[in-house]
Amino acid sequence: MKEAVNKDTGAVGQWIPATGAEDIVTGAARYCPDIDLPGILTGKLLYSPHARARIRKLDVTAARNMEGVFAVLTHKDVPGENNYLYSQPDQPLLVIDEVRFQGDAVAAVAARDEATADAALQAIEVEYDVLDGIFDPLEAMKDGAEQLVSGEDNVLVSQLYRIGDVASALDSADVIVENTYHTQWAEHAFLETEGSVALVDEEGVLTVYSSCQAPHRDRLQIARSLGMPESMVRVITPYIGGAFGGKDEAHVQMHAALLAVAAGRPVRLIRGRRESILTHVKRHPMSVHCITAATREGRLLAVKARAIADAGPYHNATHEVLNKFGEFIGGPYTVQNLEVELIGVRTNNPISGAFRGFGAPQAAFVYESQMDDLARKLEMDPLELRLLNGVETGTKMYTGVVVREGQAMKASLQKAAQKIGWENRDQQQREPAPHLRRGWGMATILKGSGLGRGLGDHAGVVLEMHQDGSVVLLSGAADMGQGIVTILAQMAADRLGVPMSSVRAVRADTSRAPDAGASCASRQCMVSGNAVLAAADSIRDALLSVAAGKTKISKDRLDLRNGSLLIDGEPHELTIRELARRALFWGYPLHAESKYHFEYPEDVPPGKYRFSQEVFQFCTQVAQVLVDIETGQVTVERLIAVHDAGKMINPGGVYGQIEGGCAQGIGYALTEELVVSEGHTLNPSLENYVIPMALDIPEMEMDVLEIPEPIGAPLGAKGIAESPIIPTAPAIRNAILDATGKPLYRLPMNAERVLASLKS
Amino acid sequence: MTDTSIQMIVNGQARQFDSDSSRTLLSVLREDLGLTGTKDGCSQGDCGACVVLVDGQPVNSCMVLAPQVRESEVLTVEGLAVNGDFHPLQRAFSETWAFQCGFCTPGMLLSCYALLVSNSEPSREEILTAISGNFCRCTGYQAVVKAVEQAASELREMSGGGDRP
Repeated sequence: MKEAVNKDTGAVGQWIPATGAEDIVTGAARYCPDIDLPGILTGKLLYSPHARARIRKLDVTAARNMEGVFAVLTHKDVPGENNYLYSQPDQPLLVIDEVRFQGDAVAAVAARDEATADAALQAIEVEYDVLDGIFDPLEAMKDGAEQLVSGEDNVLVSQLYRIGDVASALDSADVIVENTYHTQWAEHAFLETEGSVALVDEEGVLTVYSSCQAPHRDRLQIARSLGMPESMVRVITPYIGGAFGGKDEAHVQMHAALLAVAAGRPVRLIRGRRESILTHVKRHPMSVHCITAATREGRLLAVKARAIADAGPYHNATHEVLNKFGEFIGGPYTVQNLEVELIGVRTNNPISGAFRGFGAPQAAFVYESQMDDLARKLEMDPLELRLLNGVETGTKMYTGVVVREGQAMKASLQKAAQKIGWENRDQQQREPAPHLRRGWGMATILKGSGLGRGLGDHAGVVLEMHQDGSVVLLSGAADMGQGIVTILAQMAADRLGVPMSSVRAVRADTSRAPDAGASCASRQCMVSGNAVLAAADSIRDALLSVAAGKTKISKDRLDLRNGSLLIDGEPHELTIRELARRALFWGYPLHAESKYHFEYPEDVPPGKYRFSQEVFQFCTQVAQVLVDIETGQVTVERLIAVHDAGKMINPGGVYGQIEGGCAQGIGYALTEELVVSEGHTLNPSLENYVIPMALDIPEMEMDVLEIPEPIGAPLGAKGIAESPIIPTAPAIRNAILDATGKPLYRLPMNAERVLASLKS
Repeated sequence: MTDTSIQMIVNGQARQFDSDSSRTLLSVLREDLGLTGTKDGCSQGDCGACVVLVDGQPVNSCMVLAPQVRESEVLTVEGLAVNGDFHPLQRAFSETWAFQCGFCTPGMLLSCYALLVSNSEPSREEILTAISGNFCRCTGYQAVVKAVEQAASELREMSGGGDRP
C-alpha cells in the first residue's frame, strides 16, 4: 500500500505526511479547546430540557448578578438576526418563545471559569409550559395535524420527480420487487466537539476561531447576527477534530461572538459531548417504499420510490438532502423510468441535516438491497445483474446527466469481485460451526463530487512566491482532517517545481484567504485544486519568462523541477530561487489570485434534476460476514473496497478516507442508532451510541483505481470523501442475506433485528 | 506545603501545584501545566482521547483525580520526543497517515507506546487490543496497526542502543 517517496518527481501522487503532521504527533496542534488568551472566559449555553415547550418565564437577573459572571444573554440581546442560515433561517440562536427540540438554546453565559458558568446556568430562572410534541412524521403529515409552527405546514419538502413512463414500465415488467426500508438517526461523533473562541482584537475586529467546514459562511452568519459589517469579522480555522458534515452549518460561533462582545473579554465556548449529540444535526431517518421492475433477463425497467424523512423542527438541509436522495435512488444503473416522491416532515425530534453522503447512504441502502432481492427472484448472480445494468462513459442517466467518465462502475465491481474470490465463494465454508453462517454481499454506488448545478460551486486561492523561492498558499478551504491543505500544497509544489518543504499552506483565515466555499460534497479537491493549479501556472509562467530571457531559449523547452530550471528535461544551473529573485527584481508578478468555477453543462432539459452533480465517485464494496444464528451477532470478516479517485494526489489521504469511511459504514450498518423516545435522546454518549472500535473492524482490503476524470478535475483527480461510507451498509446487508436467506429492511442490523429475522 | 499540594513528575520534570481533590488529571495537565496535547473527547472515559501514562500504565486522564497521581510519573504526548528527536511511533504515525484530524492521536500514541514497552513485536490482535479504548472516527484503526508495526520494527533494529522501549 505504501509507496516510497520518489525524490526525482514532483509532489503530486506521492505518499507524504499530511501538512501539520508534526504538530499533531507532538501535541503542538491547537484545536479550539486548546486556545488560551489572557482573561479568557468560559462560555456555556442553556439548552431546553424539553422536546417542545412554551417559555412562560425567562429571568436571568440572578445569573447576571453573580460574581465572576461577565455576560448572560437571551434572544433580547441578539442585535442582528437571531437565527441560523443553512437554507431557511428558521432555527433561532436563542429561543424567543417556544423550544422545538432538545437542542434548542435559550440563554448564553460567559464566566471566569467552568464552575462559575455552570452555576450561572443553574441560576437562570426559566419556566416552561410543556406542550405535546409530534414525534411521528406520518402523524405530523396528516390532514388536520397541529401545525408545529403556527401558520406553516408540517410538510417542509414535498417534491415529485417523474422521468420516463414508470406506469407502462411496471405493466410490462416480468419481475417486480417491492419493499419498505427504514433508516435511523446517525451521529457524526467527530472526536472534537463543536467549539469556538471569540475575541475583539486591537483593531476592533471580531475574531472568531471556528471548528467548522465553511469559514466564510460562518463570517457572514456571525456578522449578520451581531449586526456588524462582514469587514469587521474574521474567522480563523485552527486544527479541527473532524466534522463529516456536522460542522457544515455554524454551531456556537455566533454565541461565542455575542458573548465576547458583551463581556468585553475573549470567550471560549466548547460543547460537551452530551450537548454535542443533543444539538447538532443527525443523518435523516427515512422510511422509503421502493418498487424495482425488471425484465426476466434482468434488465432494469423502472424504479419508483417514496421517501419520508424526519426533518426535526427546522429546515436545515432537509430539502437538499432529499434532493440528493432523489438524484441517486436509481443507483449507478441505466434505468430510464423513474418516479420519486420526496417528503420532509417537521417533528419535535432531533434536527436532521448534513452527514457524509448527504442522502446517498439512505438511497444506496435501498437500491442495493433491491438489487439483491431482485437477483434472488431472478435466480441471477448479483454481480452479473449489476454488470448488466451498470452505466458507462456516455450513458445518459435518468437525471439527464451524461456520464463523462464511467469506466470505474464496472471496473470497481470486477476488481472487488476478483479480490474476494466471488466466483469461488461457494467453495468456502458456509457453516464453519453449527451456529455460524457465512455469506458474501456486494454493493456498488455512485455519488457526485461537487455541489451540483446552480449552487455557486467555486473557490478562490492566493499563492505567492518570495525572493528565496519559498511559497505561501492561502486557501479558504477548511481542513477538518481530510487533508485538503496537504493536497493543495502538493499541487502547488508540483506546478512550481519546488519541494513540499518550500510551500507553507496556511489554514483557512478569512482575513487572508479568499472564499473557497464549504468543505463538503467531496468538492474541495476539485474546485480549490483547480484554483491552485491556475494560480501556480501564472507564477510559473512569470518564472519561465525570466528564464527564457536569461537563457534565450523558448519557454516551451523549459520546465521547473526539484528547485531547478530544466532545459529539454535536463537540469540547468539556474535555480528557481534565482529565477524568483530576478523576477521580483524586474517586477514580474509572483503573486497570483485565482478563482475557479466548476464546469456544469447548460444543456439539461427543464424539469430534470436541477442540482445534479456531474462528476461521479464510483465504488464497490464486498463484505464477507459471519452470522451467529443463536445470538444474531454479525461479524464482518472481510471488507473489500475498490474506489476510483481519478488520480491520487496523496495516496495516504485517499486510503485514510476509504478506511475511515468503511469503519463509519460498518457502524451505520450494525450498531449506530440514536435512540429517541418522545423527542428525548436516550443515548447521548459515546458509551451508549455504539461506534466501531479497533476490535470491531475486519482487515480492510482497499484498492484505488485511477481513471482520470476528464473535466473539472485537477490532474484528473476527483473528490472521494463521501463515497466510502455509502456502499458498506447494503454490502453487509446483502452478505447477511446470503448467509441466512433472510432479508433485512431496517438499519442498523443489530443482533436483535437479525435474530428476529431468523425467527420470521 | 498545604494538603492540596500535589507533586508529580510530568514528562521527566518534577512539577508541583495546588489542586482541590475534585479536579481531574486531565484538567490539571491542560489548565495548570498548559499541556494541551492531551485531549478531552467525552469527559467520561469512553473515547481514550485523554490517555496518558501514569507510572507506565495507560489511563483515561479524565477519570483520574489529581490526588490519585501524587508522586507518580506521568507521560503525555509532549514527552514523547526527546530534545526534538521524534519517537519512532511519532514518525510512523505521520508517515503511514495513521490519523487525519489528529484529535485521537495523542491518546492513541500513548496507548501504543505502553504496548511497545512491554511487547517489542506485537501481533495485529495485540495492537488492536492495546488501542481498543481509543476511538478514531476519521481513519479507522488499520493504519494505526501499520504505524505500530513500523515503529516496533524500527525499535527492534535500534535495540540495545538507548533507553527507549
